[in-house]
Amino acid sequence: METVLSTQKLTKNFGKLCAVNNLDLEVKRGQVFGMLGPNGSGKTTTLGMLMGVVNPTSGSFSWFGEAATHLTRKKIGAVLEHPIFYPYLSGQKNLELNAMIKGADPNNISRVLETVELTARKDDKYRTYSLGMKQRLAIASALVSDPIILILDEPTNGLDPMGIAEIREIIKKIAADGKTIILASHLLDEVQKVCTHFAVLKRGSLMHIGPVDDVGKGEEVVEVQAYHDDLGVLLQEFLGSGSIKKENGIFQVMMKDGYHSKDLNRFLFDKGIVASHLITRKKSLEKQFLEILSDTSHKV
Amino acid sequence: MLHLLKIDLKKMTSYRTFWVICGLYFLTLGFTTASGMEILKWLASKGAEFGASININRVPLYHFPDIWQNLIWISGLFKIVLAVMVVISITNEYQYRTLRQNIIDGLSRWEFLESKILTNVLLSLMSVAMILSIALVTGFIYTPKIEWDYFLVGSEFFLAYFIEIFAFLSYALMLGILVQRSGLTIVLLMLSHMIEAIIKLNIFRSSFEDQIGWLKQFFPLESITNLVPLPFARYAFQEIQDYVALGAVAIALAWTVLFNYFAYLKLRKSDI
Repeated sequence: METVLSTQKLTKNFGKLCAVNNLDLEVKRGQVFGMLGPNGSGKTTTLGMLMGVVNPTSGSFSWFGEAATHLTRKKIGAVLEHPIFYPYLSGQKNLELNAMIKGADPNNISRVLETVELTARKDDKYRTYSLGMKQRLAIASALVSDPIILILDEPTNGLDPMGIAEIREIIKKIAADGKTIILASHLLDEVQKVCTHFAVLKRGSLMHIGPVDDVGKGEEVVEVQAYHDDLGVLLQEFLGSGSIKKENGIFQVMMKDGYHSKDLNRFLFDKGIVASHLITRKKSLEKQFLEILSDTSHKV
Repeated sequence: MLHLLKIDLKKMTSYRTFWVICGLYFLTLGFTTASGMEILKWLASKGAEFGASININRVPLYHFPDIWQNLIWISGLFKIVLAVMVVISITNEYQYRTLRQNIIDGLSRWEFLESKILTNVLLSLMSVAMILSIALVTGFIYTPKIEWDYFLVGSEFFLAYFIEIFAFLSYALMLGILVQRSGLTIVLLMLSHMIEAIIKLNIFRSSFEDQIGWLKQFFPLESITNLVPLPFARYAFQEIQDYVALGAVAIALAWTVLFNYFAYLKLRKSDI
C-alpha cells in the first residue's frame, strides 16, 4: 500500500523540554490512524511540524514520498487543536477564503456545508457560532479542497454527547469515501470506534504502533454469573482459569491460552450449574493504553 | 501575485474596522488637502478684523508647481492612520491565530507576508492617486495663470510620497510581526519618532556632532521624513530644498527592503 506519510527521527525541543523525541511514524493510504497520548504528550506539536507551523529541531518527514512544501499542504485538510477562523467573517466567507488559499473549487463550499449541516447558518458571523458549530465548520474547511488526507486534532473536544456522536458519524462517512485520516485524540473510545491503526505517544516518544484489531489479541476474559453459592471455589477447579476477580457479584475469569468461554460453559454444565450471565470480553483499548503508558521501559 | 492580494483584501473588505479607519483616513486627508485655501482665506479675514493684513496672493500654496510639494508634505502627516490600520491587520492574524491556519491551509510564510506587503503597496498607491487628483483639481481652480513650462516641476515628489507611505507601512508591518500585540505595537509606532530623536540626541550631543552629524540621515524614520522636505519656509523668504534628493530615496528604499526582510526573518524562524 502507498505510504502517505513517513517521519524519520522527528524531534522538537522547546528549550530544555523535549516535546517530540525521535519519532518514526508511517501512515498508509486508506488508514484511519489514531494518535493517542495524554495531554502534553506531543501530539499537536507533531502535527504542527507536519503542517509547517512548527519548525522541527531535527529529523525529517515526507508527504506522499516527497519532501514537504506549502504546495503539499494544499492537498491536506487539517484542523489543529481548535477551530481557527476570522470571527468577523461569516461561515461562508471563511470557507471562501480557505478555498482561495488552497486553490480549491469554490463550488465545493455548498457541498461541504451540507456535509456538516451548517447550510442554514452559513451567512452568520463565525463568532456567533456554538462550539459544536465551530468544530463542524472546521471539518468543512478541511474538506473544502477535497483533500486526499485529513488531519483532525481532538475534533470532539468540549462537545456534548450529541455533538460527539455527530462528529463521529461525519468521520466515519469521510473514511468510507476512502480518505486517509489522522486523528489525534485522548478519547480512547473514539479511537477504538473509528480508527484502523493507532500509535501511542508519551512525553514525545512513540510507545506503540499497530492495528486497532490487534488490541485484545491473546487475552480473553470471561464474565460469569450463576445462582450458586460456591461459584468462586468451583471456578478455581476449572483448568482454564487464570486469575479470578469478583466485581459487582460477577466473576471475571482470565482464561489461560487455548481455553475459551465455551470450555468454561461446558465445565459449569458438567457440574450441574447453568450460568445466568456469560460474556467474553476482549481487552479494551483503554486497558491496553494504560498498560502501554505504565510500562516505562517499553519503547518501540 | 494578484491572487495573494485578493486573499488579503478578502480578509479586510468584510471587516468593519478596516472601512472605518480607511474611510476616516481618506476623508480627513481629502478635506485637509482640498480646503487649505479656504482656511487661508478664513485666517486672512480674521486677521483683517484685528487690523493685520495678510495678502493671500503672496502665499501661492495652491499654485502650480508649488502645490505638488505643499500638498504632499501635508499628506505625509496622515500616514500614521494608515499605519495603525496595517498594525491592526497583522496583529489580528496573531490574535485570532489565523496566521497559523493560513500556513496550515497551504500558504508559504513568504506568501503570507507578500499578501500583506501587496496590500501596503495598494494603500500607498491609493494615497498617491488621491493626492494627485486633489492637487490637479485645486491647482486648476486656484492657479491664476498656468505656466505650462513649469507645470510638472516638482511632480517627482509623488514618487517620493509613494516611497514615504510604503516605507512607513513596511515599518508598521514589521513592528506588528515583531511585537504581535496590537496595543503595544500602536504605542511603539506612535513613539517611534520620539525614540529615534532621543537616540540621536544622545549620540550627537557631544562636541563631535560636526564630524558625524551627517550620519543622522541614515536613521530609519529620519530617512522617511527626508524624502519630502518641509516646503512652507519658502513663503518666509527662506531657501528650501524643492527637489527630491536621490540619496534620501536610496536610504529610504534600503530601509524599506530591510523592514520587510526583518519581518520575513522573524516569520520564517518562529513557531506559529
